[in-house]
Amino acid sequence: MKKFLAMALALVMVLSLVACGKKDEASVYYLNFKPEADAAWQQLADEYTKATGIPVKVVTAASGTYEDTLVAEMDKKEAPTLFQVNVGGLKSWGDYCYDLTGTDVVNELAAEGAVITKDNGEIASVAYCVETYGLITNKALLKKAGYEVSDIKNFADLKKVAEDIHARSAELGFDAFSSAGLDGSSNWRFSGHLSSVALFYEFRDNNVSGMPATVTGKYVENLKNLWDLYTTCSATTGAALSTATSDMSEAEFGQGKAVFFQNGSWEYNNLVLDASKGFNMKAEDLTMIPLYIGVEGEEKAGLCTGTENYWAVNAKASEADIKATLDFLKWVVTSESGTTMMAEQFGASPFKAAKPVENIFCKASDALIANGNYNVDWSFIYTPGTDDWRAAVIDAISQYTVKGASWDNVKTAFVDTWAKEYKEYTAG
Amino acid sequence: MKLKKKDKNKTALTVIFAIIAVVYLLPIFLVLMNSFKSNAAINLNPFAIPDGESFVGWANYIKGMTFGNYPFFKSVLYSVIITVMSVALILICTSMAAWYISRVGSTISKTVYFLCVFSMVVPFQMVMFTLSRTADSLGLNKPWTIPIIYLGFGAGLAVFMFVGFVKSIPLEIEEAAAIDGCGPVRTFFLVVLPMLKPTLISVGVLEIMWVWNDYLLPYLVLDRTEYMTIPIHIQYLKGSFGSVDLGATMALILLSIVPVIVFYLTCQKHIIKGVAAGAVKG
Amino acid sequence: MKIRKKSRDAAALNSWLVRRPIQRMVWLFLLPTFAAFCIGFLYPFLQGIYLSFCKFRLTSDAQWAGLSNYKTAFTDPSFLHAFWYTALFAVVSLLLINVLAFTVAYALTQKMRGANLFRTVFFMPNLIGGIVLGYIWSMIFDGILIRFNTSVVMETEYGFWGLIILLCWQQIGYMMIIYIAGLQAIPEDMMEAARIDGASSWDTLIHVTIPNMMPSFTICTFLSLTNGFKLYDQNLALTEGRPFIQEGGEIIKTTEMLALNIVNAFTSQATNRGVGQAKAVIFFVVVAAISLLQLNATRSKEVQQ
Repeated sequence: MKKFLAMALALVMVLSLVACGKKDEASVYYLNFKPEADAAWQQLADEYTKATGIPVKVVTAASGTYEDTLVAEMDKKEAPTLFQVNVGGLKSWGDYCYDLTGTDVVNELAAEGAVITKDNGEIASVAYCVETYGLITNKALLKKAGYEVSDIKNFADLKKVAEDIHARSAELGFDAFSSAGLDGSSNWRFSGHLSSVALFYEFRDNNVSGMPATVTGKYVENLKNLWDLYTTCSATTGAALSTATSDMSEAEFGQGKAVFFQNGSWEYNNLVLDASKGFNMKAEDLTMIPLYIGVEGEEKAGLCTGTENYWAVNAKASEADIKATLDFLKWVVTSESGTTMMAEQFGASPFKAAKPVENIFCKASDALIANGNYNVDWSFIYTPGTDDWRAAVIDAISQYTVKGASWDNVKTAFVDTWAKEYKEYTAG
Repeated sequence: MKLKKKDKNKTALTVIFAIIAVVYLLPIFLVLMNSFKSNAAINLNPFAIPDGESFVGWANYIKGMTFGNYPFFKSVLYSVIITVMSVALILICTSMAAWYISRVGSTISKTVYFLCVFSMVVPFQMVMFTLSRTADSLGLNKPWTIPIIYLGFGAGLAVFMFVGFVKSIPLEIEEAAAIDGCGPVRTFFLVVLPMLKPTLISVGVLEIMWVWNDYLLPYLVLDRTEYMTIPIHIQYLKGSFGSVDLGATMALILLSIVPVIVFYLTCQKHIIKGVAAGAVKG
Repeated sequence: MKIRKKSRDAAALNSWLVRRPIQRMVWLFLLPTFAAFCIGFLYPFLQGIYLSFCKFRLTSDAQWAGLSNYKTAFTDPSFLHAFWYTALFAVVSLLLINVLAFTVAYALTQKMRGANLFRTVFFMPNLIGGIVLGYIWSMIFDGILIRFNTSVVMETEYGFWGLIILLCWQQIGYMMIIYIAGLQAIPEDMMEAARIDGASSWDTLIHVTIPNMMPSFTICTFLSLTNGFKLYDQNLALTEGRPFIQEGGEIIKTTEMLALNIVNAFTSQATNRGVGQAKAVIFFVVVAAISLLQLNATRSKEVQQ
């Protein structure tokens, strides 16, 4: 027994002796968020290593598991030197964010504000892509139905057009909206993106910039306008929506069975470029229009343009690694290969040297802004306890849509869950 | 008369089971069917049999095996290495440990046994972060070292099952071996292990399924730039905007099931043989 | 060395002839497994218990926080709900899976035509991982429920029974194998004797087969109980806890089971994963207690037979 205990003890001691990681050279380790960009990142990393001799390792977190993966990887001897931190992550990862003030990658930014700053003024992370969402519109189909994009200037117009198309859907061979799928694969389109529009108007009224402790849900009633259109002027209604997936909705639009599809600029690759998807839509047939929810003055609304993808450099990495990482970032946002890759994978990016975008949706956003329309900011990035808040909202929306429960529940979820999550967020 | 009735009953039973079996297989058939359909067709009508329009031949399989820049065959190779090494290690080590535990009724063996039983009620998520850190700091993040983690985390179930069966082996045989001058090592490998064969196979099958299909442990522990396994490979077919390449996913799932089914079918004979042999001796 | 004669355990009546030599080789027989067990389970697990008393983001930056995590966990209504829901689920699945698996195993060992084929078929679902199973089944359930204009995520009952069906489908084959091994291990002469005595097949089943099967029952009931409690992948893929009930900002995910609740606590409280860890420890203590009671109950029957 004694012998045994001694052995067990020795073992535990060996275990507790965490071997200290000593590395002989500087290296970069990027924990990538987007699985679809994995191959491009690997290629870029190889190219950089070939050119400079500095090893760059890119590991991609599987979809939906970034936080878990980051926790596990950050605990390892060779932790990521480059990772993603958005507003919601600042609280938990702020200490790990190297102050980027004055670094090349920040100096390369074309516009101010594309960074997240900590309370003490340090720059925690820097945006690397700018994305846009709204109602993706098939202009060709719209024309077939006898309308132009310019006919839709506010919610009333949209309603008229959509209801007309839906009424004639049998004859036209297509419907107004692709399925507003509430399945987990794309319900963030509504709990995150659509509800963000209501948050935006509320924040604008109250001059909110940052995470408020409570929200009033003043415009939740307006969301119902658009949501009712989504779920009535569509081939998919009722219970079928609760399980309709992202791909299903995309396929309906891609195959020309729907005129409108609420989604973002990232869809450009799938709809137009990626031949393996089989849609091969023509860029000139597509555009994106604002999300109209029936708010005063929304004729001047633009698209929802913003980002939640920010790079942060691990402050706890070795000095050499931090430097190597910053050098790598500078190269990514300035070099020919880097900027090409960024433009191809992410569309618009906020850097001076960014390549002009091909992405038709980003262009649509720029055009509206140039026309004097206001940008509908990404207010959802300020959601405390994002997962739970969105879950509550989407559940209330599902109950309303499928079981005919009251829309008031959506407002309750909006307001009460926000307050609760904020309390938890600040308490933790 | 009685015999006839029995025969009738048996035929009826066979028919009933045949029907249940067909129903039972439907979900797997669904995967097979959809692995030959285009993504759009899977989404819009998952239950439809592939027709001229939705049938895409081997395209999903080709896509599944070639997407990304990590070669699929390497994932298969590492999956095989990890599974074979882990299961072999688990079977040998835990059967020995189980024998020790059942034959030596000391405090140590009881403690170890209870710890093992305890470990079975702990879901992996509970230790995932601490385990991945431990594995990393001990360098157990390679396909040839990760089996130690599997042995450790899987020991509970295996020890538990082996102990249950070792107890049913009559002690006299081992005593006879001991009188004949067999040391414990020879007794174990020449006398006990052969008697454990059916259990070895049952436990082996269960452990193979676990390791082969396991996703989270290798995902957290392995250095994924160099080593991937099939389940990890499949996860990368999911994009960050909720899009899933369903066709390719179905194809890869099917590919990953095939080796296990083949293994199981081969093993089934051994199970029967092993049990039959045991029955003759008993 | 102490001699423990009082032990009731059959194996503890071990012969010194066999025991002593084995005991001397503890380093060969027990130590490798135990060492790996320490690395792969015990050390991470103990560290987990320690962390449940800490505030931490990464396991390497923990700060002692006393019992505050436990307080948070015990006052979390979603955790309490998940707890009772999981307990109910575990019991129902335990009963259904074992009754069905035993029935199937019994039928398949009655020299039935095609028994081998059926055995393979019933076992097949085990070859597919949990997440995939969840997706396949939600496709099937929704395909059916849509005809009634509803879906599996709309009602708590659907989610519950859906998960039960899924788990039965997956695990009956697994348990069946163990039962078949147990059935085939019953000495033929015992059955023969029963038959000569003129016992009906029902009597044989009750008085010969089942008592001889107690080790298999112990294993199977224990496995299905712990599997029921530990269920995660299938729960996540099938319902993600939907539908929810909201009360004053508290969300109760009505079909969320414990493992999922714990993991959600890890990710939603990013600055303090200690709450999740505390929930995990509570969960562990309760499940361990229940399982031990169950083991003792069935094991004692083994000895009596």
